[in-house]
Amino acid sequence: MTLKATFIGLTAAAAMAAPAFAEYPDRTIELTIPAGAGGGTDTSARKLALLLEEKLGTSIAILNVGGGGGSVGASQFMQAKPDGYSLFATWNSPLTTVPQVQDVAYSLDSFTPIASTSETAYTLCVKTDFPATTGAEFLAELEANPGKYTYGNDGIGGTMQLAAERIFQAKGIDAVAIPFGGAGETLQNFLGGHVDIYGGSISTVLPYVESGEAKCPIVTSAADVPALEGASGLEALGLADKETLLWRAILGPKGMDPAVVEMLANVIDEAVNDPSYVEFLATKGEVPNVVKGDALGARLQSEYDALAEVSKALGL
Amino acid sequence: MEFYTNALSHVLTFGPLTAMIGATLLGVFIGALPGLNPVMAIALLLPLTYSMDPLVALAMVAGIYNGSMYGGAIPAILLRIPGTPASIATTFDGFPMADRGEASKALKIACWSSAIGGIASAIALMTMGPMLARVTLFFGPAEYFWIAIFGMASVAVMVGSDPVKGIMAAVLGLLIGTIGIDNLSGQARFTFGQTWLLGGLDLIVVLVGLYALPPVLQLAEKCDLRGLSAAQLKLADVPFKKGEIRGLIPTWLRASGIGIGVGILPGAGGNIAAFLSYNAAKNASDDPSSFGKGNPQGVAAAECGNNADNAASMIPALALGIPGNVVAALVLSALTIHGLQPGPQLFHQNPTLVGGFMMEMLITSVLIFALGGAVATRVFAQFQRLPGVLLVPTILILMCVGVYVINGRAIDLWVMLAAGFAGYFLEKVNFPLAPVILGMILGPMAEQSVRRALLISRGDVTELVTRPISAVLAAVTVLVIVWPLVKMARRRRKPVEH
Repeated sequence: MTLKATFIGLTAAAAMAAPAFAEYPDRTIELTIPAGAGGGTDTSARKLALLLEEKLGTSIAILNVGGGGGSVGASQFMQAKPDGYSLFATWNSPLTTVPQVQDVAYSLDSFTPIASTSETAYTLCVKTDFPATTGAEFLAELEANPGKYTYGNDGIGGTMQLAAERIFQAKGIDAVAIPFGGAGETLQNFLGGHVDIYGGSISTVLPYVESGEAKCPIVTSAADVPALEGASGLEALGLADKETLLWRAILGPKGMDPAVVEMLANVIDEAVNDPSYVEFLATKGEVPNVVKGDALGARLQSEYDALAEVSKALGL
Repeated sequence: MEFYTNALSHVLTFGPLTAMIGATLLGVFIGALPGLNPVMAIALLLPLTYSMDPLVALAMVAGIYNGSMYGGAIPAILLRIPGTPASIATTFDGFPMADRGEASKALKIACWSSAIGGIASAIALMTMGPMLARVTLFFGPAEYFWIAIFGMASVAVMVGSDPVKGIMAAVLGLLIGTIGIDNLSGQARFTFGQTWLLGGLDLIVVLVGLYALPPVLQLAEKCDLRGLSAAQLKLADVPFKKGEIRGLIPTWLRASGIGIGVGILPGAGGNIAAFLSYNAAKNASDDPSSFGKGNPQGVAAAECGNNADNAASMIPALALGIPGNVVAALVLSALTIHGLQPGPQLFHQNPTLVGGFMMEMLITSVLIFALGGAVATRVFAQFQRLPGVLLVPTILILMCVGVYVINGRAIDLWVMLAAGFAGYFLEKVNFPLAPVILGMILGPMAEQSVRRALLISRGDVTELVTRPISAVLAAVTVLVIVWPLVKMARRRRKPVEH
């Protein structure tokens, strides 16, 4: 009896003496993805999870919670315990774009930023017979014909639409936004000639640029994108401050142990820069970009503020 | 041809072959258990295969996908519980057949029809894939609107004796379909501030509640303590009448065509294919009133239609890089992980893999012939021998597990329960349930398409009927609504002779 009590006491003391994160992680980590299975965020996160499992020496269970442009998953995740065993792999839109149009229960403060992983620009593309080829010609054509052209995008108030509208507003362009369910659906309607301009991710439309069916005058990043030769980056058009990217990050719930955050950020950094992951990202037109901890928080905040401005102007 | 013989030699090796057999069996089980569905199973299993030979991974997808489309028919026939949304139409005639002691015959027809639909679809994928893919591009928002309306017109044939109740049920489905974020304005509708409602009500959750709970409650009402003995288990072969199988051939051809047609359109799906095939079989029949009372043609049409959707739904994904449903999206993501770029070059980029996957869709359909029947009668039919007091809690537990794992949240269980009681009540007052689900599927499709079409036409309504394809679709829709009325009027004019 006494022996057992002493034993329990000793174990308890030993457990308390060691810092909490020394054993971390000693059980399965649950990774919430605020999108359905099979999409870009899902594929990137699952591939990264395989590498993280190896480096952390624990298993990672993936939970897809789609709906509401990512807000359903984000709202559900914010209630998780900040013990490091619940992580959130998201793209930027649910955090910086969706709150502009939806009344969501979370804010940027509801999460602990850990590390961003990769990023890519959006692009605007047209059929080869479109009367403009360079970025400057394209914007001039749109400017000269207000309300004439339709452009497909990933959804109303989505990051893609806001990325395009930031450029359009700066140039005083009026184009008709047609929201679709995703880049695949936009591509289908663009190829079929139902909308004039494709707006969406680069990787989806890239095969049709290579086959000569489409040309892309513009990307939404400041710099040019090597994969899309003819496309102007925004810097070349004098619009460098209107850059809007699609990027991905891993976050935790509010109030995580800073030591665990730092350790996770470093492991994510290693995994993202693993040659196999970099190669995988390249097939999707993405490049690694790891921004950690507070710097990530600042990046989220500045994007949030910029998009708040454009969506207010759009009356969303 | 060399394309396929080369691919075949890679598919007929130990790894892909065992994966196909195992996955087809697994697929039948997944389809047969209400709540578990192929999308979920593939999403869970596919990442485990990222490090394997891609042909093994794709063999698994093909097997689960094809197997489950057939598997859904088993509980639909035996218990009137559709295992997947695509097998709702199978309950209409499958269960009445089982009820009069022809369960084994119904299962056999379901098995053959599934295999035939799957084979026809795989052949279409292999021979006309890229060409059919280009055809899908002509379908813009205006055309999708008419497809949705055409689908809803088929409600007319499943409302049973009381059209008013049928329409009320369909409207209930339409209303449920409006819950959640509106994709065109970004506004939340009917969510009452509840975050979990932002994504709308999950189709599978509502389906399991609405369709599985009422039959379970009816079983419970019987208070059956003993179950069927081996002798009572009505699996004795009811022989096919002479010419009966030959009579199914036109139905199979029609349903395969419809399934492939629906399949190639991104965004439609097996459930719509099954409803439309069933509808077409009924309209073509000399004796439409026998449908819903155990007509084998009904089972054949529904099961052939939903399997014919499968391989065809891969056409836009493989030929254009446009995934038409979640399974196709998962296949594309698996190909991306293996370093392939989806798009028009995919066929040339890696013919072994793409051709191999097509062969696997074909072979797993053939496997349904071999494995499907045995699994249904040797395993699942035996569950009927369980006494009701054991069967009821077993099914309830399976339902709860299935529904919980979809989104991993407990609130879905309450939604299922509420849908279940609603379904039980609706059945007691003789409301048909199928229009509810159809409304849920087609309502959002019709609404979003028409609003997109009007955005593109800058509010000009005439564009909905002046485009060539949309004009044809509109005319066919009118025909489908008017044809049964014409038939009815003719029959009334002729006095019935006995």
